[in-house]
Amino acid sequence: MRRLIGDILLPRVTAVALWVWVVFNLALVGWVGIQSLKDSGDVWLHPFALPETPRWDNFSSAWQAAEFSAAALNSVLLTVFGAGLIVAISAPAAYVLARSSRRVAAPTISYFAMGLSIPLQTILVPIVVIKLSVYTFMEDWVTGWWDNRITLLIFQVALSVPFAVFVLTGYMRSLPHEIEEAAEIDGAGPLRAFVQVIVPVARPGLTTVLVLNVMGLWNETLLALLITPLPEERNLPAALLGLYSSMQYSSDWGGMFAGIVILVYPMIVLYVWLGRRIVDGMTAGISR
Amino acid sequence: MKTYERAFWPFLLPALLVYTLLFVAPSLFGFWVSLTRWSGPGSEMTWRGLDNYVALLHNEVFATAFTNTFVMAIAGGALIFGFTFLSMVVLRQLKGRAFIRSVVFLPLVISIIAIGAAVGFLLNPEGALNTVLEWFGLDPQPWLGPEMVFRCIVGGLVWSSTGFYVALMMSAADAIPAHVYEDAQLIGATKWEQFRHITLPLTWDVFAVSAVLWVVNSLKIFDIVLAFTTAGTAAAPPIPARTIAVQQYIVVKGSGLPELGSAAAMGVMTLLVTAVLIVLTRRITRRDRVELS
Repeated sequence: MRRLIGDILLPRVTAVALWVWVVFNLALVGWVGIQSLKDSGDVWLHPFALPETPRWDNFSSAWQAAEFSAAALNSVLLTVFGAGLIVAISAPAAYVLARSSRRVAAPTISYFAMGLSIPLQTILVPIVVIKLSVYTFMEDWVTGWWDNRITLLIFQVALSVPFAVFVLTGYMRSLPHEIEEAAEIDGAGPLRAFVQVIVPVARPGLTTVLVLNVMGLWNETLLALLITPLPEERNLPAALLGLYSSMQYSSDWGGMFAGIVILVYPMIVLYVWLGRRIVDGMTAGISR
Repeated sequence: MKTYERAFWPFLLPALLVYTLLFVAPSLFGFWVSLTRWSGPGSEMTWRGLDNYVALLHNEVFATAFTNTFVMAIAGGALIFGFTFLSMVVLRQLKGRAFIRSVVFLPLVISIIAIGAAVGFLLNPEGALNTVLEWFGLDPQPWLGPEMVFRCIVGGLVWSSTGFYVALMMSAADAIPAHVYEDAQLIGATKWEQFRHITLPLTWDVFAVSAVLWVVNSLKIFDIVLAFTTAGTAAAPPIPARTIAVQQYIVVKGSGLPELGSAAAMGVMTLLVTAVLIVLTRRITRRDRVELS
């Protein structure tokens, strides 16, 4: 009995369940793609049939509706600059924190780690207040204009720095100490030594953190809805919500699925390309 | 002096400043706002002490949002780790395990809003799932109606998050040397017993961290509710499906003068609950560390 359950029944049932789960995930991703190529009537009436002729114009209608093209550009810029800045700020900090024998190093690492457990809600109201004040302040006193997308970028960076520093500190610790000696003999200054010696050696870890942040920033929703509510400043997830609601009236369901594809497929391509490394990076930094 | 000691402050300061000025200081400011009545810059701020908190505790809508968040954290957590543990029983030897692990992780890279739009289409009253149910002669269900939407959200949550914890726990389980399992097999331990007496004790540290992570993440559940309930419209999600984060968003975004003091108090309460739950989780998961000699 014990053997029947523990060796046969439980493992078999679990294995079947796992495969069902795998098939479901793949089917969902594929199904979204197929739906995006049907005309809207077929999307609704024959949700599981193949398209008769692929309707690529769904993509152009999604692209024009709900300012999707502007949203795509916003998302790309926010993601690229955001992820780049996060790594550029966090990597040097993580490096000195991992290496230094100063007494402040350990408490500083804990101080950054504290940020991991502060929920976003705690600073939601301050963010809204700062967003409004910065806008008026810059417009009235400094530049004469301001763009909320910059505020969004700044806060996305600030909120991602603790995780990046924390993970990269762990990673930098695992690098051999010999690498700096090469730089020291060379007589290079700290910045040059970091860029020319440490960064190339630490590249796998840096790439992982970069890609993790790319995914996080690309899918950002709550902050984007709060800081950049106007149609022309929205990012893709917010624009998809907008597209979703306008489709309720126009019933352009093919267009909605095209919107989903525009939002989802780039990340899937990134995941297929770098998959294993992303999972490893996401888990390695935390399990340490 | 070593290069990295000379460069200590210049390298550390940018990150330290960004984090302190734009994350830690705003959190403290949020705490301050939570003690006042305020509707934003330009309006008058009046001191209220703890009144915002007292009012929240007596507010039925907030109480529902609070309970919902709590139920999601507990029920969702139980399901997620239940599935994770079961997967760990078999994932060590199953054929195609690398493939399974990577596909199970897939929902983590997809925007929840996109998932909500696709799943919302399937679960619509006249949607695909109900059509399939009708083929089998079953009654269509109002999946996203007020009574059932909460369960659907928990389901969606479990589906989209479990892969992360499977990846996390399996990466720890990978480090266990194969000979331990071979010995266990020789003395006739079943797969379940191998998991129970080898895998779980040796990965317990990572489980403790995972549980804390889940607690932190579950208290900020937001976009999945929006995606499942509002179908993108400006309408507020129905009360039975609201979480604390959603409720806070509604108050901040709401029409008329926003009650920022009250919204900030929700944020501080989330922080307190997070802290309490982290301590509790640590307590529950505390065991003597098991190590292979």
